[in-house]
Amino acid sequence: MYLFKTIIISLLFIFFASVSDVFAYYDLGKPSGYVNDFAGVVNDDYEKNIENKLKEFKKQTSNEISVVIINDLKGYAIENFAVKLFESWQIGQKDEDNGVLLLVAIEDRKMRIEVGYGLEGALTDAESFLIINNVLKPSFKKNEFGKGINDAIGEIMLAIQGEYVVVNSGSGDAKVDYKQAFYFLFIFPIWLASILGRSKSWWMGGVVGMVIGGIVWVFLSAVTGIIAMVILIPLGLWFDYIVSNNYQVGKSRGSVPWWAGGGRGGGSGYGGGFGGFGGGSSGGGGSSGSW
Amino acid sequence: MKKFLIGLLVFVILCGMYTYSTYNKLITKDEVVNNQWSQVETQYQRRFDLIPNLVESVKGVMKQEKDVFTQIAEARTRYSGAASSNDKTVAATQIESALGRLLVVMERYPDLKSAQNVQILMAQLEGAENRVSVERKRYNDKAADYNLIIKRVPSRWVASIFGFEVRSYFEAQEGAESAPKVQF
Repeated sequence: MYLFKTIIISLLFIFFASVSDVFAYYDLGKPSGYVNDFAGVVNDDYEKNIENKLKEFKKQTSNEISVVIINDLKGYAIENFAVKLFESWQIGQKDEDNGVLLLVAIEDRKMRIEVGYGLEGALTDAESFLIINNVLKPSFKKNEFGKGINDAIGEIMLAIQGEYVVVNSGSGDAKVDYKQAFYFLFIFPIWLASILGRSKSWWMGGVVGMVIGGIVWVFLSAVTGIIAMVILIPLGLWFDYIVSNNYQVGKSRGSVPWWAGGGRGGGSGYGGGFGGFGGGSSGGGGSSGSW
Repeated sequence: MKKFLIGLLVFVILCGMYTYSTYNKLITKDEVVNNQWSQVETQYQRRFDLIPNLVESVKGVMKQEKDVFTQIAEARTRYSGAASSNDKTVAATQIESALGRLLVVMERYPDLKSAQNVQILMAQLEGAENRVSVERKRYNDKAADYNLIIKRVPSRWVASIFGFEVRSYFEAQEGAESAPKVQF
């Protein structure tokens, strides 16, 4: 009976999930810059101009403003769409939440200013409402999208200008991850090999595998931990066997293998282009309107 | 016999590790849900503080609509008197329906609706409602994440040993999923 109930409930769930998919947020992919005109209604001059303005503004104040223009909302409420998009792009700095999203849906004739948590005091709902009503609406009615957005961005910048100042630009995060990944992928095995290889024993590798599996178990989950152990113990044994043999052979020949000397550091960063937003979040602040 | 004992020891250690990691996971997720609930309450309070302004600005014109204002006042009193989170949720729902009625009644006063200060207040109210619904949805997501551990086997055994309880969700009220629309 219980099983039956479960099946019914999960069937219902799947049914509703697929029904609600008809009117759902759809993924816009990664942002290509501060201005993302998916509908192609802003002419190039305006787009370039606004993009540069926003880039400069980010440099000076660390505030991130993103303009997104889409064709339609596919039946989704613009408020919900804006929140979802904000969640996925994470506009604003991580600890400041100082991002603003200006979302326009052309076919639905709707717009919304979604304000990050950190700017709710500077760009209030009332101010967002006034910008929408007094700046965006009149221009959009005349189909002057570029001008309307340009003017609105000016107003938004004015409102949030004094709120944050740059404390070391936070673009270093990605590089740290990169270095760590590099470390784990290359340096760690080399370091392990230099230790395991020097010991004559062939079983230490298995123990290391088990310990790593145990750590995975405690910090992630039991299933992953067991899988990690099953894979890592034999792998460790094999690895240790190989490196120990190699080391002994190399030593008898008078040349120690290159990995036995310990790891050498070094990594490379990357730069240029638009690197995405800083990790901010919003909580439904701002205002919406239509034209 | 010795083999059996070693097997038993390994089994006990494995169980211990599993219990330990599950317990910590539950504690963490429980705290996340609590934090999200406090976000919901913050937004309730924010909306709650906004209501007097709106009421004051329209009361003068809407003299014959006493019922609505009494309802709003009653719901506010109930909210400030609510102690448990359940009571708060119930009172918040009452505030919502009373406000909804006020918005409907306001339709009959076109002059009022077009007044700039009332429009701004309405925009603020809309923002407050939207914030509430966003934080509520996030609460539900986080509660679901936590409840899943409590309901699933074998973690449900660990949860029952330490007395973790299932968290309740916000039921979808009429229009609670999408932000309320205020048409001008």
